[in-house]
Amino acid sequence: MGNESFYQEFEVFSRRTKTSPFQHQFSLLAPNEDIAMVMAQENFMRREPVADIWVVKRDHIRGLNSEERQIVERLDNKDYRLTKGYGYLRKKWRQYEQGMFDEKEILSWAGGQKK
Amino acid sequence: MTQKFENPVVELLFQLADDDYLFSYRGSEWLGLAPHIEEDVAFSSITQDTMGHATVYYRLLEGLGLGAADSLAHIRPAAERKNSILVERPNGEGCYMENPRYDWAYAVARSYIYTTAKKIKIDSLKSSSDQSLAEAAVKISMELYYHLLHWKTWFVQLFNATEEARNRMTKALEKVVADSGDLFSFGDAASEITNASLIESEQVLLNRWTEYVKPVFETIKVAVPTFGKPERNGRNGEHTNELQDAIDTMSEVYATDLAAAW
Amino acid sequence: MTADVLLEKDLQAQFEERIAAGDKIEADDWMPEEYRLALIKLISMHGISEIMGALPEKEWVPKAPTLYRKLGIMAKVQDEMGHGQLLLRVAEDLIKPLGKNREDLMQDLFAGRLKFHNVFHMATKSWGDAGLIGWLVDGAAIITQTNMLNASYAPYARALQRICAEEVFHAQHGEAIILALAEGTEKQKEMVQDALNRWWEALLFFFGPPSSDTTGSTKQDITIKYKIRINTNEELRQGFLSKYIPRIQSIGLTIPDPTLRFDEETQKWIYQQPNWENFKKIQRNEGPKSQERLKLRRTSYDDTAWVREALSAQIG
Repeated sequence: MGNESFYQEFEVFSRRTKTSPFQHQFSLLAPNEDIAMVMAQENFMRREPVADIWVVKRDHIRGLNSEERQIVERLDNKDYRLTKGYGYLRKKWRQYEQGMFDEKEILSWAGGQKK
Repeated sequence: MTQKFENPVVELLFQLADDDYLFSYRGSEWLGLAPHIEEDVAFSSITQDTMGHATVYYRLLEGLGLGAADSLAHIRPAAERKNSILVERPNGEGCYMENPRYDWAYAVARSYIYTTAKKIKIDSLKSSSDQSLAEAAVKISMELYYHLLHWKTWFVQLFNATEEARNRMTKALEKVVADSGDLFSFGDAASEITNASLIESEQVLLNRWTEYVKPVFETIKVAVPTFGKPERNGRNGEHTNELQDAIDTMSEVYATDLAAAW
Repeated sequence: MTADVLLEKDLQAQFEERIAAGDKIEADDWMPEEYRLALIKLISMHGISEIMGALPEKEWVPKAPTLYRKLGIMAKVQDEMGHGQLLLRVAEDLIKPLGKNREDLMQDLFAGRLKFHNVFHMATKSWGDAGLIGWLVDGAAIITQTNMLNASYAPYARALQRICAEEVFHAQHGEAIILALAEGTEKQKEMVQDALNRWWEALLFFFGPPSSDTTGSTKQDITIKYKIRINTNEELRQGFLSKYIPRIQSIGLTIPDPTLRFDEETQKWIYQQPNWENFKKIQRNEGPKSQERLKLRRTSYDDTAWVREALSAQIG
């Protein structure tokens, strides 16, 4: 009887570094969240760095059901949301003898500005 | 009776190494038999970490010219071992291969008491006068937090669960306490070890342990146990036959050819 | 249009289209009964085999000859338990709609309704066996498991991706033990050769019968039809022989089959067929160690039943 409730389902998430997002790892069975937590890292992240862990009771997750999964479909006509839709600017800036502030250039500013 | 080493560092290293080694050896016998698959995996990580800690100490001994780490771990006879009685006790009735009737309550109670005692010692070792011991303690303590949280969770939850679980835990804890007389002892080498400021004294550590576990024992409504005078003191090489049985098994392959590479 | 207004045969046709198009199926998707049952059978057996497979190897964990080997084999057996965990979770989600959980899988195992892999019914008699299992049994397991990495059932494929990544370590762990012995003393070399002699038949059994003609049953046809795996048992076995025979021979070992040869014409290995009667016995849990291992698993499960009861009562 009791075994019904010993085997509760928990989903395990972790982030690899302090700045990385939480990623789903896998699910485990445990009788409660404290036991689930002390199982989580060693069951799914024995060989990789971990900065943080979540365990979430599966019942508390609202997922898409089989039919609802169709909401992920979309047309490939959204260049205007992407840098791809603005690639022509490179040529334009060249006319003004300027370089393009593309993703690579802009993210390289993470190193800071000249002091 | 075992020899006492001139150098108190050697004496203490053997106690620390043999403790972690036997504790992890007993843990390794549990592999595959835990109450829960997820726990089997988690428990084994703790066992591996602990054998890793033993290896750190055996390597320090190797560096001090005491012999190869593998040989120190595998073939020293019982009378030369310095581990506490608590860690040499079997996991329950029967052999791990054919008919183990292992007691999870005992595993949890022993692991909780052993690991909390280890924490108190490791914290003290961080300020050891011996540089290499202090460095080892800093490293080992990194992994201890998880071990403590893991065993505390099981210890508290099982004590506070059903009546049957509480009875089993109570019995198991009694058995653990009865064997813990030498857990905080440094044996005949005690004064040399503390005089050299390698670690604080037995009494200081024991008092600190009592304070440390008090809140947990309050949550399970059990008085913090006191350890009596040991019937045998493992630190002086006084052991049960159970230790020699363990040594025979752990060295079965290694002892077939001491010169071979494995 | 929602699923429930579609006719069963339309659903079946749609499902087969998805499979043909390489789409992946999730646990809560509609699936034909035949597909669900094949998955349950395959994955619960795979999962429980990992749990049972820990037992023969764990015999050598406390006996491993050095600290490094003790740690290595412990990590490896731990992974087997971990793989069992991953696979059983996948199986448990499949049996959940049937009102079953892990407890039922364990009881099925004890009652003989759920079988564990034939290779884990064998005795491990020496440290050489421990090494050989790591090297060749895991080698065979890698061939079977990588064959299903793109399985149409997504949860299984996700579990297998984790598993196969760890199997790389297992293969190297086994190789390390075997090479140390093969390069060691005469006694150590003998130890490996003996182990190979003992395990050769089990290695041929590993992939199962070539066809249902041999032993009366094989589930390979359905799993190939639904793109759960790619190759037949015999194709997998041939792949194993091609990859491993040169390596086995290169380190000075002799394969205990004088008829073994590679046939250039058919591009296939010709080998002495193992005694498939022994295989059938194992299928009935009458192998050399079948009953002992089941007893060990059951005793440890029963002896710890109080723990599971205690903590389930707590959350009420």
